[in-house]
Amino acid sequence: MTREKTRNWLRYWPRLLFIIPFIAMLWVPSYNRIEPVLGGIPFFYWYQLGWILLGAAIVLLVHMIETRITQVTESSRKGLEVTDVPGDIL
Amino acid sequence: MTLDRTATIIFVALFLFVTWLGFVAARWRKADLNLLHEWGLGGRRFGTMVTWFLLGGDLYTAYTFIAVPALVFGKGAMGFFAVPYTILIYPLLYMVFPRLWAIAHQRGHVTAADYVRDRFGSRMLALAFALTGIVATMPYIALQLVGMEVVIGALGFPAEGFVGHLPLIIAFIILAAFTYTSGLRAPALIAIVKDTLIFVTVFAAVVIIPAKLGGYGAIFASVPKEKLLLVPPSGESLGAYSSYATLALGSALALFLYPHAMTGILSASSGSVIRRNAALLAVYSFILGLIALLGYMAIAAGVDTDPAYAAGFARYGPNFAVPALFLASFPSWFVGIAFAAIAIGALVPAAIMSIACANLFTRNLYKEFIRPDCSDADEARMAKIVSLVVKIGAVVFILAIPQAYAIQLQLLGGIWIIQLLPPILLGLYTRSFNARALLIGWAAGTAVGTYMAATQGFVSSLYPLEIFGVTLPGYAALYSVVINFLLAAALSPPLDLMARRRAASTAP
Repeated sequence: MTREKTRNWLRYWPRLLFIIPFIAMLWVPSYNRIEPVLGGIPFFYWYQLGWILLGAAIVLLVHMIETRITQVTESSRKGLEVTDVPGDIL
Repeated sequence: MTLDRTATIIFVALFLFVTWLGFVAARWRKADLNLLHEWGLGGRRFGTMVTWFLLGGDLYTAYTFIAVPALVFGKGAMGFFAVPYTILIYPLLYMVFPRLWAIAHQRGHVTAADYVRDRFGSRMLALAFALTGIVATMPYIALQLVGMEVVIGALGFPAEGFVGHLPLIIAFIILAAFTYTSGLRAPALIAIVKDTLIFVTVFAAVVIIPAKLGGYGAIFASVPKEKLLLVPPSGESLGAYSSYATLALGSALALFLYPHAMTGILSASSGSVIRRNAALLAVYSFILGLIALLGYMAIAAGVDTDPAYAAGFARYGPNFAVPALFLASFPSWFVGIAFAAIAIGALVPAAIMSIACANLFTRNLYKEFIRPDCSDADEARMAKIVSLVVKIGAVVFILAIPQAYAIQLQLLGGIWIIQLLPPILLGLYTRSFNARALLIGWAAGTAVGTYMAATQGFVSSLYPLEIFGVTLPGYAALYSVVINFLLAAALSPPLDLMARRRAASTAP
């Protein structure tokens, strides 16, 4: 039982990647500057706009890794997600 | 200002179109709308695309489109905190809410209060949730009206007296009617139109306006130097740095606790839909980032010194920056489209918010405390009526009370709603927390947060916290929820022990 629990927790390792956007965004002094300017836009602005895309990419990456893992061990998923009807698109 | 005919005709035409759509929505994915989860959650059948439009329409409201650039226009870099805020939302959405969805789906929860009632077996905690949700959402609905009022005023409608309020009242009667008949299906369908209009408007704005103003370089060059960056810390205070970071983090933690966000999440058809949306919603964040930059474009265009818009600025303050920028940059027909996008952008969240409030009232106050024996049909009927009452309340609110109060209440709403975080988050993983301890934590967090805002005269939610001689100005919501959490954790073991002793002593 405990071993199974540990395995379930291990399954979540990709989520550690989520620490990255938190550090990047909450570490304000790292981006509170003008230079380098990109296309006329100061660093402060284009860096944070860029992080929107990076943040989404990280979420997507975690999702992809996790779906791969769950496909391999479908049984480990039971109990974590009560029902998981594949989402119909529209 | 004189009435802009072309813009008004297009504006009204688009408004009529979404009205029609709102009523037709009742027949979309036909089901028995006399059941609360059908009326109030769209039957929990929305797939990835619809959920994307619904959450996008729900979270990026008309008020956001007006207020974020207004903040950047007025305060500069500090207003840009909306960007890190939206970046931090998505990991949280991904990690927390699919699990909440699964539990709610299995146990038939319609609201967050249902969920804590079930998880911790406490009616009082559920009551606290329902009241907090309703009180925090009401001013939010009222602020959607502010967004609508600004664009209606910018079209050139007379703004004085009863006639001035008439367009707003008509818009809300329409909104109330289609929400009543179609429930969550109406805003879900309208959100698709709304977002399409918003995307068109924003892309046009970020291409056409900089071209007119001489490029982004010229725009940023015209912004006063002190506005471009956050003021670095000086002396014993972290100043703008801690404010910026705590505002971003606190707002991100609070967002999905709002009843309307919860409604959007629970109406999804699966946990995977929510996970996919955690990545896909970034499209809206990017749009929001671009919209924030409109504040600087308004500075560069010099709309605040243009006598043509002086009356608008006098009336609406910085909130008039974006409407003025559009009026100055776009031909009339496109102004109509852009303003319709903002006004319809008010309808969607206002509808979802009133549905969420109605769900809370019906499920957690009416059925729980007043008529526990009411039938499913009674429950749904009650919710529909409450959704009307809530909207009338919002209109009265905005017409009778100075706008500043609505903004202050919305600011307090953020502090109040975040206090729901510990029970929701802890409830996902453990039931070992004591319901009373959570209730005490909630009460203390709410009181401390409100006190912090009171020390600032309710005009700012930034509280200068002093630790070891260093001042950390930061978002009161974040500070108070830490107190909430610590109290709940500290009091849980002793209160559990007391409860067990009492149970043992009364046992024969």
